[in-house]
Amino acid sequence: MTKKEIFITSAFTENSVWKQILGICSALAVTNLLMNSLVMGLGVIFTLALSGFTISVIRDFIPKRVRMMVQTLIIASYVIIVDLFLKAYYPEISKSLGPYVGLIITNCIIMGRAEAFAGKNSPLDSMIDGIGAGIGYTIVLLVIAFIRELFGFGTLFGFRVLGDWWTKWSIMVMAPSAFFMLAILIWFINSKTDQKKG
Amino acid sequence: MAEEKIKKSFSETRAYPIVFMVMVTVIFVGILSTFYHFTIDQVNAYRQMKLQESILKIFELPTQNVQAEFSRYISSKETTEINYYIASRDSVILGYCLPIRGKGLWGTIDALLGLSPDLQKILKLEIIDQNETPGLGGRITEDWFKDQFQNKIIINNGIIQTFQLVPEEEKTSAEQINQITGATASSKSVVDMISNNLEAYLPLVGER
Repeated sequence: MTKKEIFITSAFTENSVWKQILGICSALAVTNLLMNSLVMGLGVIFTLALSGFTISVIRDFIPKRVRMMVQTLIIASYVIIVDLFLKAYYPEISKSLGPYVGLIITNCIIMGRAEAFAGKNSPLDSMIDGIGAGIGYTIVLLVIAFIRELFGFGTLFGFRVLGDWWTKWSIMVMAPSAFFMLAILIWFINSKTDQKKG
Repeated sequence: MAEEKIKKSFSETRAYPIVFMVMVTVIFVGILSTFYHFTIDQVNAYRQMKLQESILKIFELPTQNVQAEFSRYISSKETTEINYYIASRDSVILGYCLPIRGKGLWGTIDALLGLSPDLQKILKLEIIDQNETPGLGGRITEDWFKDQFQNKIIINNGIIQTFQLVPEEEKTSAEQINQITGATASSKSVVDMISNNLEAYLPLVGER
């Protein structure tokens, strides 16, 4: 596969969220604001890219039996770097994301890419695969957050878009709406792509 | 060739995974502590700013320029036992602010307790740091819960008032507090934290 194909595959054709249904928990949790979703997405892209790269570099030396421990350790290290960075330079966002930055460690996408791709491919390819998977995840987050923030708060990235006449849909602020949005999104995309195949 | 054989045989021994794991751990912990070292000042500066802002809010003072307002209205007093803050405007004391700490369900709860100038009433409770369960015990940071402590009398017949917990949404009397449904332990922690700290430190506050 060429670098471009790797990227397209992990970001779109084999998208972690709508094809593999991974990383759902965080997609539900942080998507009530676009800003939080963007930061979360960037954190996941960073972690995926660097953990993929690192795991791939040392893939030949990792003893098979402890490989998951090693993966978790590496992933956790990068996540803690993201967490410290946000705490130091973007404390407000860090506060509103709360425990979810730390929970990037448990995001199934990252472990999934480490197992499925980084353990078998070259460092550069693994990094591209990680960036692709991260961007695919971020796109889903942003689409859901766009709808939730618009209807729930009447704002986009904190800027007022809908005037005072707008009645805020409080269900959009709460977690259940993310379930509906995510389900609709997955259904929409998969029905489109299936039609193409048929 | 010979070298490779030795290397391979070591990677098949039982010790290899352990040695490998230790090495990887040391490297990554090293990277993390370096990064931590570079960001800790920034994190502390922000924490300090937030603390000052919370103290100003307790006394309903302006918070546009936190540092300037803080040095204007608030003075801190440090004794060997406790540090606390005194708020005053035009040499009239607005009240005292006592940093309190107690055990929560999962970790330490740090809070600020604003006290009236006569040290008879609570002005405000502000939770600074907590690790309670989000959505359950974590709700101790919600305004409705904290605001219940406003204007509560803390000294009753010369002894420190202890608060009783009653179910959420029930009517409360002067010495009762609505607990958070599903988070009895966290609610109790807050109430206990207040009375324990007052018992220990109230006699030390406000002395000239």
